[in-house]
This record gives sequence, C-alpha cells and structure tokens, in this order.
Amino acid sequence: MDLSPLERFAEQVGPDGAVTVVGGRTQWEVGGAVAPGTRELRAPAGIVELEPAEMTVRVGAGTTVADLDAALAEVGQRVVLGGAPGATVGGVLAVGHSDVRRLARGPIRDVLLEARVVSAEGRLVKAGGPTVKNVSGFDLCRLLVGSLGTLALIGQVVLRTWPRPEASRWLAGTTDPFTLRERLARPAAVLWDGTTTWLLLEGHGVDVDAESRVAVDLGLTEVASAPILPPYRWSVPPTELSRRSVDEGYGDCFVAEIGVGTVHASRPQPPRPVAPGVQALTERMRAGFDPTGRLNPGREVLGR
Amino acid sequence: MARSRPTGLAVETGALVERLGLALAPERVHTGGLEDVLYGSDASGVRAGGVAAVCFPETTAEVVSCVRLAAENGRAVVPRGSGTGLAGGAVPVDRPVLVVTTRMNRVLSVDPESRVAWVEPGVVNLDLTRALEPYGLHFAPDPSSQQACSVGGNVATNSGGPHCLSYGVTGAHVLAVEVVLGDGTVVILGGLEPDPPGYDLRGAFVGSEGTLGIATRIAVRLTPNAPDVRLLLLDFESVDDAAAAVSGIIAAGIVPAALEMMDQPITEAAEAFVHAGYPTDAAAVLLVEVDGLVDGVASEAARVDEIGRRHGARHVRVAADPAERALLWKGRKSAFGAVARIKPNYVLHDTVVPRTRLVEVLRQVYEIAARHDVLVMNVFHAGDGNLHPLLVFDAREPGVLERIKAAGDDIVEVSLAAGGVLSGEHGIGLEKRQFMAQLFGPADLDAQARLREAFDPDGRLNPGKVLPEGSRCGELHDLPEGTWI
Amino acid sequence: MNLGIDDDELSQCVSCGLCLTHCPTFRVTGDEGASPRGRITAMRAVQRDGAPVDARFVEVIDTCVQCRGCETACPSAVPFGHLMEATRESLASRPGYQPWWRRLGYGALGHHRLVLAGSTVLAAGQRLHVVPRRLGLPRLALRRPRLEPTGEDVWLFTGCVMDAWQRDVHAAVVRVLSATGAGVGLFGPGADCCGALAEHAGLGDRARAQARRVIAAAPPAGPIVVDSAGCGAMLRDYGRLLGTPDARAFSERVADVHEWLAPLVGRLPSPAGSTVPRRVAIQDPCHLRHVLRAEHHVRAVLAPFVEIVELDDDGLCCGAGGAFSMAHPDLAGDIRARKVAAVARSGADAVASANPGCSIHLAGAGLDVRHPLEFVDEALGLGRPAH
Repeated sequence: MDLSPLERFAEQVGPDGAVTVVGGRTQWEVGGAVAPGTRELRAPAGIVELEPAEMTVRVGAGTTVADLDAALAEVGQRVVLGGAPGATVGGVLAVGHSDVRRLARGPIRDVLLEARVVSAEGRLVKAGGPTVKNVSGFDLCRLLVGSLGTLALIGQVVLRTWPRPEASRWLAGTTDPFTLRERLARPAAVLWDGTTTWLLLEGHGVDVDAESRVAVDLGLTEVASAPILPPYRWSVPPTELSRRSVDEGYGDCFVAEIGVGTVHASRPQPPRPVAPGVQALTERMRAGFDPTGRLNPGREVLGR
Repeated sequence: MARSRPTGLAVETGALVERLGLALAPERVHTGGLEDVLYGSDASGVRAGGVAAVCFPETTAEVVSCVRLAAENGRAVVPRGSGTGLAGGAVPVDRPVLVVTTRMNRVLSVDPESRVAWVEPGVVNLDLTRALEPYGLHFAPDPSSQQACSVGGNVATNSGGPHCLSYGVTGAHVLAVEVVLGDGTVVILGGLEPDPPGYDLRGAFVGSEGTLGIATRIAVRLTPNAPDVRLLLLDFESVDDAAAAVSGIIAAGIVPAALEMMDQPITEAAEAFVHAGYPTDAAAVLLVEVDGLVDGVASEAARVDEIGRRHGARHVRVAADPAERALLWKGRKSAFGAVARIKPNYVLHDTVVPRTRLVEVLRQVYEIAARHDVLVMNVFHAGDGNLHPLLVFDAREPGVLERIKAAGDDIVEVSLAAGGVLSGEHGIGLEKRQFMAQLFGPADLDAQARLREAFDPDGRLNPGKVLPEGSRCGELHDLPEGTWI
Repeated sequence: MNLGIDDDELSQCVSCGLCLTHCPTFRVTGDEGASPRGRITAMRAVQRDGAPVDARFVEVIDTCVQCRGCETACPSAVPFGHLMEATRESLASRPGYQPWWRRLGYGALGHHRLVLAGSTVLAAGQRLHVVPRRLGLPRLALRRPRLEPTGEDVWLFTGCVMDAWQRDVHAAVVRVLSATGAGVGLFGPGADCCGALAEHAGLGDRARAQARRVIAAAPPAGPIVVDSAGCGAMLRDYGRLLGTPDARAFSERVADVHEWLAPLVGRLPSPAGSTVPRRVAIQDPCHLRHVLRAEHHVRAVLAPFVEIVELDDDGLCCGAGGAFSMAHPDLAGDIRARKVAAVARSGADAVASANPGCSIHLAGAGLDVRHPLEFVDEALGLGRPAH
C-alpha cells in the first residue's frame, strides 16, 4: 500500500535512535550542535493545498520558504516567515526567529495553525487545526514553534496567509528611530544601527504614500533595500533599546528592531538567566515528549 | 440545590475551611449549601456538584496558600474569574477548592511608551480598555461578554471577539504571565523581551482553561487606537448572498477589523433590546468594520460597499459617529442574551468551519434544527468561520432537553465533517470533552496530555476539563518490563 | 419555599452574567452571591429546588441595594425588581426578618407630624452633640421654611424625610417651576409618604396602604411632579402595585420634575450675573436612571446653567439605596467610595443628585451635593431676597 509522504516520514523516524531533520542548514547551530551520529532526515516538501479564500495554506515542512512565497505570490498572498535563502518552512518554525516585519505582523508563532508532526515514538500526531481560529484543546503548536525539534519533528503545517501588500517601501535617514515610531501609525519595521534609521512601510498604496510623507518630513529618503543584518540575534525588552551608544556588547555592529527588541549583532548574546521554575518546567516538558532523548540530542532550547 | 454534605467529609472540609480562613481572612472563604448553588455553575448552566470552599484571594501569596492547602487536603483547585465562560470551564467537579479572582482586580501599571500593562487576573476586560482611553490605547480582545469577563478568563480561554480577525486572539496580546502551578510554585512564563529563552510556555498556557496553573499577574500588550475607523451595516435578502459577500471581501484582499453576520431571528431579538435600527426583515445582516489610516479606511469602506452591493446588499449604512457605532456593536454583543425575549433558555454552540464551507454548514444547521423541532438562530464571526448557532427553547417543555442535545451533537458532527474544529473561542471545558475524540486521534490526545502533565504532574488543577478520560496512553511507559498487555 | 415569584419571570435569566459589573454590591465584593445572577440562582434554588431559607440566603437577598441597574444591563429583560420585591415580601411574612422596631419605623414615616417632630428633636440633639456621627445624618434644620403654593397648574409631592430634612430643596423647586410661569400647588395632608421604603423592605401591605392614602389625598386633576427620584418611581408604580383603574390613572399623572420642566426650560430667564458656570458632575439616582429613565431630562434642564461633567462609571449606584445605607453601612460605604473616586476623576467641583437619599449619603463623604434644581435656582438668583 502506498504511504503518503507524511506516513513515509513517520516511518523513517521510526521508534528509536537519535534523529534530526535537515532543512536548508541556514540556522543549523542554533541551540547547539546536534550530537554526532544523529541520523539526518528530510521532511516532505511541496504545497499540499492552497486555499486563498480560506487564507490558509497546507505545505510540507521541507518546502523552502522561497518556493512557498512564489506559490502564494501567484494568488496575491504571503506568509511572513523570514529566513535566509534556502531556509525551509519547518526549519524557520522549529527555530522560531521572526522576520523584521514583526513590528506590524506579529511573531512567527502566530502563523502556525496546524502541524502534523512525528512524535518520539514514531507516531503521527496532529496539533492544532486548519481553521484560523481554534481553541480546541491544548495549544501544542505554540510549543512547537521555537522548540528546535526537541518535542516532535515537523512534517507538514497549515499556515495562515495574509494579502500581499499593495505597496512596500524602504526609507532611511538619521532621524531618531523612537520619534519616528511614535509619529507613524503602522510602520512595518523600524531598524536602527546607532546612526542610521531604516523604515519599512507596507500596505495600501494610499496609506504607504501618506506615511512616506510623514517620514520624509522627518528627514528620511527612499532607499532601495533593507540593511544587511549581522548574524547573531539578541532578545532584549524593547524599552531597553535606548538612545545609548553602540557599546552594549553587541560587537562591532548591530541592527536593532525598534519596538520589538530583537537586536541583530556581531557577537552572540550572553546566556540569559532562567528562573528555576521555568527550568524545571522546560525539562519536564522535554522529558515528557521525548523520554529517551532521541530527538535532536545536543540541542538545548534554553540556549536558543 | 440544598444537599446536606456527607457527614464523613464534613469534618475534613471544616478543617480545610478554617485553615484557608487563617491564610486569607475568614470572611473571604465561603462554604455551605448555598455556595454550592451560587458557585456550582458558570454561564454554561452546566452543574456537576458542589464546592468544598470558595476562596477570594487578593494576592499571589494567598493564591499559593489556596493551592497548597487544597493539595494538602487532597482537593483539586478550580480557578474562576467572572464566571462568564460558556463551556463549563469553571464548573466545580468533585468538591474542589474554588479560587475566585474577582478581588484581584487592579491594573498594576501602564506603560504607554512600551505599550505594556501589568494587570491582575480579575480586571474586567472592558474596564481595562476604558482605563487605557486617556492614552489612546486599548486591549484588543473584545469578546461579547467584555463588560463582565475578566482578563484572567480571557487568558484561560484564549478569547477572541469580533476584532480578533485582524488583531488576533488573546494569545497575541499576552506577553508574560505570572502563574501559580499546581504545587504552589510561582513562575513567570514569557517576558517583555521578544523571544524569551526556552519553549513558548506562555503560549501553551493561554487557552489552557485553568488546567495548567492560575494566572496571578498578566502583562498585556496594548494596541494603539486606529487613526480612523468605519462601521458598515449591510443587509441581504438571503443568507447565501451575505456569505457570498463575505467571501468576496476576503477574496479582494481586504481583512476587515471585524466581519460579523447575524440571521433574521437574532437580528430581531437584538433590535428589540437596543433599538439601533437594525433591519429586522432582512434575511441576514453583515457588520463590517474597517480601520487604519484615513485614506486606506476610506478606500476599503468604498470597496466593501461595492462588493456588498454586487452580492445583493439592499442597503449599506455607515455609522455616522462613535455613538451610533457603539450602539450597533451593542446590538451584536447583546444578541445572545436578547434571545431570552423569545424563549427563556438557550444553548450556545461554538464551532469553526472553513469559511468556504460556511453557507453549506449553515444550511445544514437549519435542517438539523427543523429535524429535531427546535428553534435555531445564528450569529457568527463570518470573517473567520466561527459559527455560533443558538438553540433556543423553554427547559420546562417536556422532552425538549433531549432534542436540544441531539441537535447540538449533530451540529458538532457536520462542523467537523466540513473540516472544522470544536471551538473557536469558548473552549472545551466540560461541555465538549465528549467530542474531543472525534477531532483528535489517540496519539493527538496523548500529546496534549503530555503537555498538561509537564505543568501539572499530579492533576490538581481543574481536573476533568478539556481532555477526556484516558487521554494519556503513556501509562504503558510506567509498566514494568515484561508486563503482558 | 414558594417565594411568590412568577415562574415565567424567574425563568427569564440565562445566566450570561452581563449584569455582574453593573451591580454595585458585586463590584465591591466580587462575590457571585452579591450579584443579580447569583441572587436569581438562589431564588430558583429556594422556590424550585427546596433549598432552605437560611442566614446566607437572607444575606444574599438583603444585600441587594435594589438599584435596578441590572435591569438596564440585562439583554434578556429579566424584571429583577419584581423578583426581589416578591422575595422580600415572602421573607417579611416570616417572623424575625423585619424586626418590630423596623416595622414601627417604616410605619411612622406615614405620620408626617411625627416625622417633623422627630426631625426637630434630632436637630436639637445634633447641636447638643448627642447624635452619633456615624449615623451619617446631615446637619438638620431646627426651623424649616414654610412652603407656600404659587398656584394650581402643577402639584409638587413633598414626601416624608425630604420634607423634614430638605425642605429648602422643595422651596427651590417651587421657585424654579414658578419661574416658568406655572403655579405650583402642594399636596394636602395624608400624602406624606410614598411607601417606597416599606415596599423595598418587603412590607407590601403597609406600602399598599400608603399608596392608597397618597392617591386619596391627591388633587383631583393636573400633573403631579416629584423631585425625589425614589418617590417618583414609586408613585409611577402605583398602577401596578394596586392594580385599580384609579391607581393607574394616578400613575399616569406623575412625572419626574425634570421631565416636566425640560420642555419648558426656554421659558426660564437667563442666568443671573456673569459668574462662571460651575463644573457639576451628575449623579443619576438609580430610580431616575433605571426605572423612570428620565436622566436625559436632568441634563436638558441643567445644561443652560452649569458646565455638566459626566462620570465615567456607567452610572453605578452610589450605595444609598433608601434604608440600605443604614442597614448595611460597610457595603454602602464601599460603594460610595467608588462614586467618590469617580467624582474625583471627573474634576467636577460639585455634584447634582435628584434624590435625597443619594445626596445625603454622598454629602456624608464630604462631597458638595445639591439637587439639580438648586443649581438652577442659584444660577437664576431666585432664592436671594429681593432688594
């Protein structure tokens, strides 16, 4: 009998043995290196179902973000997933880093509606549901995003799509980013490297024009593209991103997401303290889902 | 209902009540036959027994005391906010200790610059938004019960409301939550930073219906009021036309701030209460709210008008001022209660179906109602396919309760068959446990049970809710090797 | 125990809970048993399921202020006032619920000379410092002005306590109404107590007896105005209370004084002098807002004379509740504290309240409270002696 790609994936995972899923290896080191000898698998790839009228898309976790974006572009929609070239949908979800558009679009975890995953026992498990709203039972999807594959391995997902914005424009200048953010109604992103401020506006053409005028009045000019982001990510309460100097330990350069608190830096963030209660919960969670520790051994979510 | 407590338990309960009274204050711990009646149910009307004690803590430390004392005395703990839940999440089972958060009702801090507020769980949803008015901010989740429901309750059920279509459900507006776990430990889940280390335990907690912990402080995200907002009321001669208009709006790439539909019977009931000028002869009405920047709002409103008319809208009325807008919303949000003018009792269902299947499911809902000879009215969040059929009846009528239940079961079945889910907003609670196995397989339920177990290994918090009995099939792991199964 | 509640009315509540935050006692306690929904649940348990009428049930029923705010909030049109009145009347038929001295007190209210005499004694006692402050009484007048009628176009009901303790308000009302060109008449003897307090205490027979006396003492024709919202609501309810054509006809004639005055405001002279209008917060007495539904008339009358400031508390009860504040001083005080905070937030200098119970209760917290028509009287300079 022919197995579906998902069932084949579950079969490959099997009931035992250290295992990990490889995508585009664009964020492979996050959380630590996988233990040597861990078997590498690939999740199924391909668009399974595209429902523009539903504003959802069902896609194999092994699909690249680029391929998904191309398919959605054809129907005037998109999912904001971020990710470097070659990144897979499953990969960006498992790592859980959001795109710079988080300021307006929200974090990446909000896009995952349903996930078909393979458990540590090698069984197919469904988490969530294909509808845009769902509070049926416990929200495993939330746990899965950013879990680095330590709770289950993502095979297929249903994502929430949004209309592709009519207009999209980058502007830059030396205006104070905090002032800029206050004056604009719905900036998609406000980035700052200590000297230069970048602004991304997306939305209806008329709204983008209106907000552009405000930005230009404040001293920005249109530019061709986004700034290059340094490799390491810091997570900082956004109120702590002050008008202080570069010398914050970020390294030679940084780009901070104003209003969000993500800082792209040239040096890794020092380990952040974790409350004992949270440590215990995290350990119980991982042990509960993966008693023998075979999923992504060597990766630690608390070091994410 | 007065039932004398079994004398065997009376002594134990007395000691527990006394200790709770010492930990809190005697007048803030209630027990007795009338408490069983008063606190035996929430807005679901479901009853499953009485309570050992009802506690009204005012601090996190007092909540910890309640949880610890309950555990020491072998009692489960059930948290309760305003008691407006519709799935029975706050209904006591097996004489638990009820922890009522209504006296923890302070807005602790508001930081308009970072758009974060810390609140206690008993703060009423609408009170919070009102307190934020001077800052030009609001709390986005706006369930119909918002004038009564608590923020803690919103967290427990991951509340939606008409505006969650574009703004997101409660989970998108909770940054951090201080939680008392079943063993009395206090942890802070999430944080004010964008990506706190570890799993999204905060996300798992939101919507967990009081089974993973009791929220004692919540950091909520505050949303700036949109610069411009416009509310349109469209009326149609058929439900099909209205639903087609909804699809048309979505297909045009418009995501309104809210997109609600009401059928004729419920529109009539709502109008009798608010007198907002709802067209009571229309087969269906649509409330469409668009917000954002001034120009975009104008263009979106114009497009909604055009799309509506293209699909047969008889009239398109635009609310002229904030007062009219508030009145039209009041009609929509009071719709559930207003049906009592027709018949005294109702059961409100809450399912979500793929939007493209909405009309088909709706037709089936009317058929089911006719088949079981019950009256049904519908109001729903058309934008996200969240259907709220109301079965309206008089409980005193002989035999009606069985027909209502049968009709409800059928509605759940057709919703699931259409690719939908069990609940969009109200949660599973007690009411919908029986359907969980229709939506989830054994491995799925087992995974959910593991999530729960990691938080509450001893099953002390709100047991008997959400997951059906036997969801955790992992007991196999605990059997000694070689056990023959 | 059959509480005498109509079964259909008792079935009306769907337990949605939207009433909770509009209930003053729920707001200050957080207790379901102090909410309309909880009270209805308790009534059902007693009337339908045989639950005992124990101390807790009595407490749940008694702590209701009867403000009727829940009725306005209820989308299911539950007639909570009827449910509560029927329950109280059933309870009052049981020994011990209303002690003899309370019954005596309510009865005495109908004997106006007794009320006036008692009031003078209290006033003297206040000056001799023998009256405890915690009773919350206002400073009572030793001598009361004589009220003179100015005609027979409209009749002012003067009532019991208000006539004894706030006759100067009646005087201001007569002046203002007369300033429209209408002649104001006064009810004759026998029309002294509307019976509201007895009704709320469950003493239905006494209340009905009072109602009959008032109707008998009414002038044969002409509109009747009431400047106490609590009394006005009661008088308007006589038709339902007694069920006779006479009673219904009487009730039809009754209007809140602001309702009568609002269309005639244009006939009043312009405010005297060039004083800056006072910033006045409006406290709507519950019976005005939830029973008479006449609060917009108060605003129409006040608008030309003061700067109106609206409170942000959805018109929640002030906690006076007729005799409630004396029977449940702690609860009443907590509820009042919320109102005082709302007034502070509003930035108003003074408060306009169209009901004596409310104004006395709020004044007890140090607020500057007057009847709305006292503000009009002051703005028009009507009370000042002519030069």
